[in-house]
Amino acid sequence: MSEQGETGEAITILLVEDDAPTCWRLQDALVKAGYEVRSAGTLGEARQALNDGAPRVLLTDLRLPDGHGIELIREMRQRFPDTEIMVISALGDEESVISAITVGATGYLLKDAFPTDIATTVRDLVAGHSPISASIARFIVRRTQGAAQSSAEPPPGPALNTAKLTPREIDILWGIAKGFSYAEIASHLGLSKQTVPGHIKNIYRKLEVHTRSEAVFEAVQQGLIKL
Amino acid sequence: MSEIAAKAPARPRRRLIVSRLVPYLLLQALIVIATILGLRLLQPADPDDFALSGFSLREDGVTRPVTLPHFTSSRYSLTDPPLYTGTFTFRSRDAASGWSVYLPRFSNAAEVAVNGIVVLDTRRDANANRPDRNTPQIALIPASLLRDGSNEITVRLFVWGPLKGFLDTVYVGPDAALRPCYETRTLLFVTLPVAFSAWQSILAVILAIMWLMRRREPVYGVLAVAMVLGVVQAFSPPPVPPATVSRLAAVLLASAPIESALIVVFGVLFFGWRWPRYGMLLFVPGLVVFVVGLIAGPPLPRVLFVLIGIPTVGLCLFLMACVTAAAVVRRQDAASFMIGCAVTIVLTCWVHDMLAAFEIMTNERIFVSRLSYSAMLVAIGAGLTWRFARALNQVDSFAGQLVARVREAEERLKASFVREQERARAAALANERTRLMRDLHDGLGGQLVSIVALSERGHEGATITDAARAALKDLRLVIDSMDDIGGDLMLALGSWRERAAMQLRPHDIALDWRVATPQGLPLHPELRPWHVVQIVRILDEAVTNAVKHAQARNIAVTIATLDDGQGPYGVISIADDGKGFALVGEGTSQTARGLRNMRSRAARCGAAFELSSDSSGTFVRLQLPQVFPDSDAATG
Repeated sequence: MSEQGETGEAITILLVEDDAPTCWRLQDALVKAGYEVRSAGTLGEARQALNDGAPRVLLTDLRLPDGHGIELIREMRQRFPDTEIMVISALGDEESVISAITVGATGYLLKDAFPTDIATTVRDLVAGHSPISASIARFIVRRTQGAAQSSAEPPPGPALNTAKLTPREIDILWGIAKGFSYAEIASHLGLSKQTVPGHIKNIYRKLEVHTRSEAVFEAVQQGLIKL
Repeated sequence: MSEIAAKAPARPRRRLIVSRLVPYLLLQALIVIATILGLRLLQPADPDDFALSGFSLREDGVTRPVTLPHFTSSRYSLTDPPLYTGTFTFRSRDAASGWSVYLPRFSNAAEVAVNGIVVLDTRRDANANRPDRNTPQIALIPASLLRDGSNEITVRLFVWGPLKGFLDTVYVGPDAALRPCYETRTLLFVTLPVAFSAWQSILAVILAIMWLMRRREPVYGVLAVAMVLGVVQAFSPPPVPPATVSRLAAVLLASAPIESALIVVFGVLFFGWRWPRYGMLLFVPGLVVFVVGLIAGPPLPRVLFVLIGIPTVGLCLFLMACVTAAAVVRRQDAASFMIGCAVTIVLTCWVHDMLAAFEIMTNERIFVSRLSYSAMLVAIGAGLTWRFARALNQVDSFAGQLVARVREAEERLKASFVREQERARAAALANERTRLMRDLHDGLGGQLVSIVALSERGHEGATITDAARAALKDLRLVIDSMDDIGGDLMLALGSWRERAAMQLRPHDIALDWRVATPQGLPLHPELRPWHVVQIVRILDEAVTNAVKHAQARNIAVTIATLDDGQGPYGVISIADDGKGFALVGEGTSQTARGLRNMRSRAARCGAAFELSSDSSGTFVRLQLPQVFPDSDAATG
């Protein structure tokens, strides 16, 4: 069986991971699920691979021998806005995941995830269901609370701008952080279950800071910087 | 021995008194001399060219020649007053500016007639007749009265005792020559006292207000009363006999001794002594004069005034001088020096007036006590105002110092607060490190060791995988528990659900997640990361047991908040449909060890742990405390 996109072609994945055993493990799981996987061990190899065309999905580790995965994600987002991006993380800690989200990644994949889970996650991603974990949702909603208290000291951890999130989106994040399923959240909030992934996609987009100038503009808009 | 010891400190003290008193007394002597000289200089010059001194006096039917100034005997009747008759020469060619008659000083009242026609009667001007003022009088002589050549002038001197009558030299001449002298005397003896009295009344108002606002300082009130009395005395017109209003006379006569007694009270209070009870005796003479004045008709009140009122004034001035001298010795400050000098001046003036009244000093009978007294009061008032202003300045500077001190204290406090905060942060960090080490040791460390052991023994595949997976899971738990969840255990359980689901998926076990109450669990502001770790480990252990040993197909996690009347508490229960296990094993089996661990972890968190197991499944119930314990007391 082969996973196919809307055009019927096989879905291409660019896998950037410097640790060979991990790379094999992930590649095996994805190939078994029917994806077309290209792998790269460094930033340079990844950039070379991109010259052959845009992949549908980019899975990248953050710490790479010749640079940081964040750079790759940012470039990817600018050159190929349609590519879905996910971070490969050993622990799924917010430090790495949130900073990846702000440059355009949607969620993360644990390095030791079971092969079926790996395949399911990528399938959901391609289908437009951006996965979000409880700990990441928790981090975001805690940050929205911190912004509301407007404490002078910036909270620890990566910078995150939550000002654009609507109260409904924050409610959804709370539900996820507390371990509720999409169906439970939808019934709590009076939504249809199908709309929840769309909301989550929007949340990812709103947390993304597109360019440096935009980041400055945003900061001025929200009164974080005084000109 | 003891006598010497007692005397030894007395001697330097006496020396100190002497060393301070002698210069002060010398200074006062200088002031007395200066005052006398000043009084001499103050004596206004009169136009001697126009003086009339040779008069004939008809008194009690006897006529005799006298030379002015002249004292006549004291009397208590206004009938048949002493009549002075004299002559002056008038030349009509000099009459261009008109001629006047000028009386520089007389006591008590005078009626002047030129060629038998009255041109001046001072009885009509009540203030002119006050013996304590030196009011001059001038009157223009109508030109038609003057004859070329010799003219007759007669002066009737009305005297009401007990003081002797007095008539100073009479001046008759061109108005232009006499009026400047008259103006000078008016300025000195009429206008100046009025100006002082006006000033005094203003100070009285100010001091009365001060006293009203600061009742615990009666010194201001005493001075205000003294000043009011002085003002009343100065502005109320004295009655002219025989039209005497005796009550008014009583007030006027009594004012001087009472005023002077009040000044002594002021002095004593001002310099910080207590007013002695017998000090009230000082008011007795004034009150006696007042009462007698109210009851008896003239001339008794006036006689009494001269006999006891005036000596009382002198006594009071003397007492005041003593009080200020003592204050100078004790305090050596500007205020006591100033008041002391002022009192000396007034006392000198009083002695001067006594000498003049008893004709020991042959001057022109000018009384200056009142004037100098008014001046002293004004000086004291000014001094008090100065002191008040200085006190305000002190308050200001005190407030400034206070502000500075408060700022300093604030900064110190801030610094120590920062230090304290840093210390607290360091302590929290150290605690956290300890906890982290313990957690890693409990979980990750053991798991890594077992991985090492397994790989050394050449075990293949699944066991190593499981151990490594457990280690990773534990690492994630530890990291996760570090996050600030704001006391909401549900946030930790949310992550745990994900991890548990991930763990169960390969075993094809369904995780049934039920949150019975909408908010899940109650909020615990006191919840600490180590509580979270313990609870999550208990839940992990329960799930692991269900997977490994019970071969369950379904695990149901139920989260609820209960309240049996003593406040809400959370309950987490885990039920599986496995085959259960026997609870006999206190042995060393893995299940038994897991059970012991779960119980001890629950105890550390103050949670109640229940477990029941039979062939239809295992049920674990964890009842959370209402308040999590602060310290990990059950560790040891």
